[in-house]
Amino acid sequence: MQAIRVENLSKTFRVKRKEKGMRGSVRAIFHPQTEEIQAVNGVSFSVEEGEMLAFIGPNGAGKSTTIKMLTGILYPDGGRVEVLGVDPTKRRRQLAYQIGTVFGQKEQLWTHLTPYDNFRFFGAVYDLTERETEARIEELSERFALREFIDIPVRNLSLGQRIRCEMVAALIHKPKVLFLDEPTIGLDLVVKENVRELIRQMNREEHTTIFLTSHDVGDIEKLCTRIIIVNDGQIVLDDSVEHLKSHYPNEHAPDTAVHGREHEAAAESGDISDVSLEDIIVEIYKSQGET
Amino acid sequence: MPWRKYMVIYRSVLLENLQYAANIVVGFFSYAVFIYTFIMLWGYMYQTPGELIAGYTKEQMIWYVMMTEMIWFGSSASSVAREVSTDIRGGNIAYLMNKPYHYTLYVLAKYTGGWSIRLPMYAMLAVVIGTALVGPLPRFPLAAVPAMALCVVLGLTINAVLKMCISLFSFWIEDATPFQWLYDKLLLIVGTMFPVEIFPKAIQPLFKLTPIYTVCYGPAKLIVDFSPEKCVEILAVQAVYLLAGCGLMFLIYGKGVKKLYVNGG
Repeated sequence: MQAIRVENLSKTFRVKRKEKGMRGSVRAIFHPQTEEIQAVNGVSFSVEEGEMLAFIGPNGAGKSTTIKMLTGILYPDGGRVEVLGVDPTKRRRQLAYQIGTVFGQKEQLWTHLTPYDNFRFFGAVYDLTERETEARIEELSERFALREFIDIPVRNLSLGQRIRCEMVAALIHKPKVLFLDEPTIGLDLVVKENVRELIRQMNREEHTTIFLTSHDVGDIEKLCTRIIIVNDGQIVLDDSVEHLKSHYPNEHAPDTAVHGREHEAAAESGDISDVSLEDIIVEIYKSQGET
Repeated sequence: MPWRKYMVIYRSVLLENLQYAANIVVGFFSYAVFIYTFIMLWGYMYQTPGELIAGYTKEQMIWYVMMTEMIWFGSSASSVAREVSTDIRGGNIAYLMNKPYHYTLYVLAKYTGGWSIRLPMYAMLAVVIGTALVGPLPRFPLAAVPAMALCVVLGLTINAVLKMCISLFSFWIEDATPFQWLYDKLLLIVGTMFPVEIFPKAIQPLFKLTPIYTVCYGPAKLIVDFSPEKCVEILAVQAVYLLAGCGLMFLIYGKGVKKLYVNGG
């Protein structure tokens, strides 16, 4: 069954333009100039329940705008979106009970409260009973190893501890789809690996659909089975991670001579994983920039 | 129970603010200076004991200002306007909207949690200063305190709702601060520093139609000159204002949220 279905999704922003200096500022008062920017342009894709998808692209490609439309924060100008059978633009609050979000660059926790008080807060926000909330806190604090610092105010925690708490807060209501926007940004290698393992665990044990945005290729490689690359508001690639790694260098050998040769050498030695996913993604970004 | 989540938001802010109760005491200094200035001012204006100015005795006039300033300092309604404007302009609203609560009620619950500690502290300060420097209000009906408190609470909730309505215009315009400034100054000069009766008779009915009556003038007038009829009248007008204000707030939010543009996506 499909967890997410997107058809021909579009979003345009109108942004102000101002000429340089004081003169430009004065002119902008009397003759305001605006420009339309097509952030998302006819995007279509679907995600199966329990799938782990990486939705990536260079800065300004339209990733965050798409996520915000999928979670009902932004209203699309055109196209259709369904998440778990719900139209986010019409039933945002109903959908909120079924999805979770973690933004690596944005705290959702109340920093003056302890993680425990935060979890109780989020339990109430998602209409869990006290007993359900307590049981879920017990379960997740065990799984995410929070016991040591569950009673320390969030502002006193390390970044790694905070991110683990952010994830528990996002999972407190057992969401069916989890949107992760750069969940491992700023974390050290060991904590990153811990967080990835926890995400894998959630997917395995609770069959949570994972929709991941990240610039960290490690996140994509170690978590996701499928990758969608967007650029200039359009999908430029939709493929399985394995297929991309094994076929892209050969198929694009004329364009990416170096990596094509690397791949051939790797194929000869029987070790196809020698071709790095990061190189392939960079190559795709570059080729899009040239077109 | 749909209200449980808002109660929990309220409780969370209360817990948060309890840690900073000592900071509130710092604001007492400004309040005390303000009130002292008004005591001196009205002491100069009232030349003979028992004299009435605009229908107020000197004690009533000073207690009036102390009560309106208590509401002003204790409620800190500007925090609502600041929070909403910052959330919209900075894009933080995006992270609050994807939760199963109504954003405007979330802000109101937070605001209520904020004044629930501050306002009683300012009320105690006002009683101490008033009793020490002005003397108690003659014929003050202690039994009517709950009704007065209800009027004050409704008044500051209406104020927060109206300020939020203004801030929600940030969905369309870049900065709603000038409108907030106008609204605040209207409340401050007409109704907070001076009662409506000080102004020319011709414009007094007009003032009574504005939020001044429900937010500051009405509740403060009730405290210094209580009557059951006046109390019922103020509560009735407050109920109308609250319903209309909330309706307007939901309407503006519903329309504005479709215009949301979030930086970085």
